[in-house]
Amino acid sequence: MEDDTSQSEVIGLGLCDSCPLLWRTRDLRTVRSRGLVGSLLGSLPRMPRQNGRLGRPLLLQPEEERLLTELHAAAALTTTDQARGRVEQYEAEQQTSYEQQKILALEDRKSALLRAMTSSQTVPDSGPRTPDEALRGRLEALDRSFTFPRSALAVQLSTVRAGLSHFPEDRALLRADWPIRAQDDPRRDVRYQVFRDLRGRGFYLTSAGKFGGDFLVYPGDPLRFHAHFIVICLSLEESIGVLDVLSVARLGSSVKKTVLLCSPAADGAVLYTSLQWSGMV
Amino acid sequence: MCCCCPCPETSSPSELFAARSRSHKIPVRGQKDFLPDGSEEQRQRLEQSLSEHWSLVSEERVERLGNLVKATWIPGDQMVELQSPAGKFWQTMGFSDKGKQCLLPEEALYLMECGNLQVFYQDLPLSIQDGYERFLSSRTVSLRQYQVFGHLKRLGYVVHRFDASSEPSSYARQLNLPPSRDRAGKQLKRKRSGSPTATATASCSHSEAQEASTAERMEEEEGEEDRKLPESHLTTSAETPEVQTSTATAAGPAGGAGGVGGRSWWAAAVLRAWDQGSSHNPTSASPCWDHRSIPFPDLGSRGVGDRLASPDPSLLPAGVAVGVCNVAPWRRKINLRQVKMSSKEQKGRRRWDVNKDKQVRRCRNWAEYQELQARRRGGRRKGRPAHLWNAAVAPLHDPRRPIPTKELLDKISVVKSTNLLEGASRLTGSDEWRLCFSVYQPDTVAEFKKSNPGKPYSRICVCSFDGPVPDLRALKLLASQSADVPVVFAVVDQGDISFYTFKDYQLPTDVHT
Repeated sequence: MEDDTSQSEVIGLGLCDSCPLLWRTRDLRTVRSRGLVGSLLGSLPRMPRQNGRLGRPLLLQPEEERLLTELHAAAALTTTDQARGRVEQYEAEQQTSYEQQKILALEDRKSALLRAMTSSQTVPDSGPRTPDEALRGRLEALDRSFTFPRSALAVQLSTVRAGLSHFPEDRALLRADWPIRAQDDPRRDVRYQVFRDLRGRGFYLTSAGKFGGDFLVYPGDPLRFHAHFIVICLSLEESIGVLDVLSVARLGSSVKKTVLLCSPAADGAVLYTSLQWSGMV
Repeated sequence: MCCCCPCPETSSPSELFAARSRSHKIPVRGQKDFLPDGSEEQRQRLEQSLSEHWSLVSEERVERLGNLVKATWIPGDQMVELQSPAGKFWQTMGFSDKGKQCLLPEEALYLMECGNLQVFYQDLPLSIQDGYERFLSSRTVSLRQYQVFGHLKRLGYVVHRFDASSEPSSYARQLNLPPSRDRAGKQLKRKRSGSPTATATASCSHSEAQEASTAERMEEEEGEEDRKLPESHLTTSAETPEVQTSTATAAGPAGGAGGVGGRSWWAAAVLRAWDQGSSHNPTSASPCWDHRSIPFPDLGSRGVGDRLASPDPSLLPAGVAVGVCNVAPWRRKINLRQVKMSSKEQKGRRRWDVNKDKQVRRCRNWAEYQELQARRRGGRRKGRPAHLWNAAVAPLHDPRRPIPTKELLDKISVVKSTNLLEGASRLTGSDEWRLCFSVYQPDTVAEFKKSNPGKPYSRICVCSFDGPVPDLRALKLLASQSADVPVVFAVVDQGDISFYTFKDYQLPTDVHT
């Protein structure tokens, strides 16, 4: 059910240095619901100075981008309105935010005071006034004396540009005006056909440069599952030296993964070959 | 606007206020499963992981205004100018330009991502997305390079752009030119002591006299001498050409001193250039010439005519005009004849002096010597077959002449080992392979000075698995640009960055002595 609604949604791509980046959380969710993983590049707002978990933007692999483009599911993000009149709007918003945060801060202080006073009621009070009176007096004093410095204002450093939009009718045109993408390269084509086939079988794929292959193949969402295969894409005509075969097989076994040699055939199917030590001595 | 619902990417004032007390912990990821089995338990775990993931990823940066440094983006200069006092980051990032504090785009973007900096453009704050799309380009740093920059910065390294012009050129290094003016004095002093560049000028003889004094005294007066050196050399090289040529010829018979004498003369010329450069334009950082583009006339080669065209006026000090130079008298002084030596002669010179031989010294005349030689050849014939030794190709070593094992190993190694820097200075630069960043280790941050960063821990070349593997040419080129600092290749694969380095390896020789 949920898949159906998200599948129909168009993903907004931003281009940075000719790389396709996703910025809006809902686009990230949509892409993930399509089984595309991508890779997060940015510092995580909650804890920016570490590399273990990263945050937005999400970089799409060339194959992921191509798949979305072919499905007419992605469009370039464009900015709808520009700076004109926006400065006043921004300043007005900041002022409103300041007023509201000031009220919130005062309420915060009052409730803190209230808590402190009510808990101290258990202590015998020898003062001349009743606790209620004392509380009212303190609250009034707080009302009068409370200041909320400008520097205490909490501001948002937006991740996504404000007023972003895309024109859904541009979907079909996307490929045409996309900047140079080396996708007519035969090697890219082989990679893409293998990618599309494996994704169509329900696998999740990420890039496998660190394992010396083209893709890492996960049986489910990479958040919960280990990768099982290292994919190496080869066209059918391409020959491969036996030493190369041995070295990739050796590599796969040392990281407990199976190496798959994948070659797209003429009829659109993909041929998969896996390598395994025979165990014979 | 983007859609009918209110944009979830912007927070309301109450959300902003509430964000002040939010957690700064990252939820721990549990053990992964091997295979999806369709069980409810697995589905729930996945759902929980995903919801944690999305809440982390969707979180917006919220900071107190007082903790933010304000800055503006200046697209024309491709840099960011600070509008409020810089934070702690100023110790390792940024630069001053005409009294203004500025940041490079990658530094600004990193600080925006860390929630330390708010950058404005046309009076509106830039989002992180704006930062990526406006700051990263071929004019500044690419997205890939920024990924590497951010990765290293998040680990705590100090990362600066690599500036080739601030490094001594390969030519300067080849000649062992002083890398900077304040270190020039120390290096020159040692070299000069053995060289015959001494001239009659007062200031120079003064410093020569200093050299004659003890080493301790030299150390004490180092600072003073450093300041005097450029002037003293100025007078030296401002003299007539005769001084220079005599230097070269006088140095000849002295053997090793020859190179030294010539070297200090060149170095003096460069020092002079620096001196003048800085007096003309005090703000410019030491004007370093690109010696690859400045041809020096090779008077020894036959192609050169007797008249030299006047040099490029931009290389001359102001107010000095040099006409066409007649080099004919100089050329007469140069011995252009090539000395030919057979390989035997060369070996003999190096290894063995005929006059040390007692039997040879006993010979009273040429005839007796010849007789002795014939006798020896005859004697030798018994020990070693003539057909082996009298042909053009002879054994590498005479087994009857004992030498230490190490020397013998050297002698018989036909293929000599080479190192990475050998011949590298002759390579011309390439666009494909270049050094991007200089990296300094995190533990030096406390005492780090931008003005004097010291020797980097490593230098980074950013590349990707899509591109070619660097060939020996690229390795040599980068190694020579980086001098004695190791070159690290940062290979970017989508979101993953792997670091590789090629190491020069000296194969050990196992010799028992």
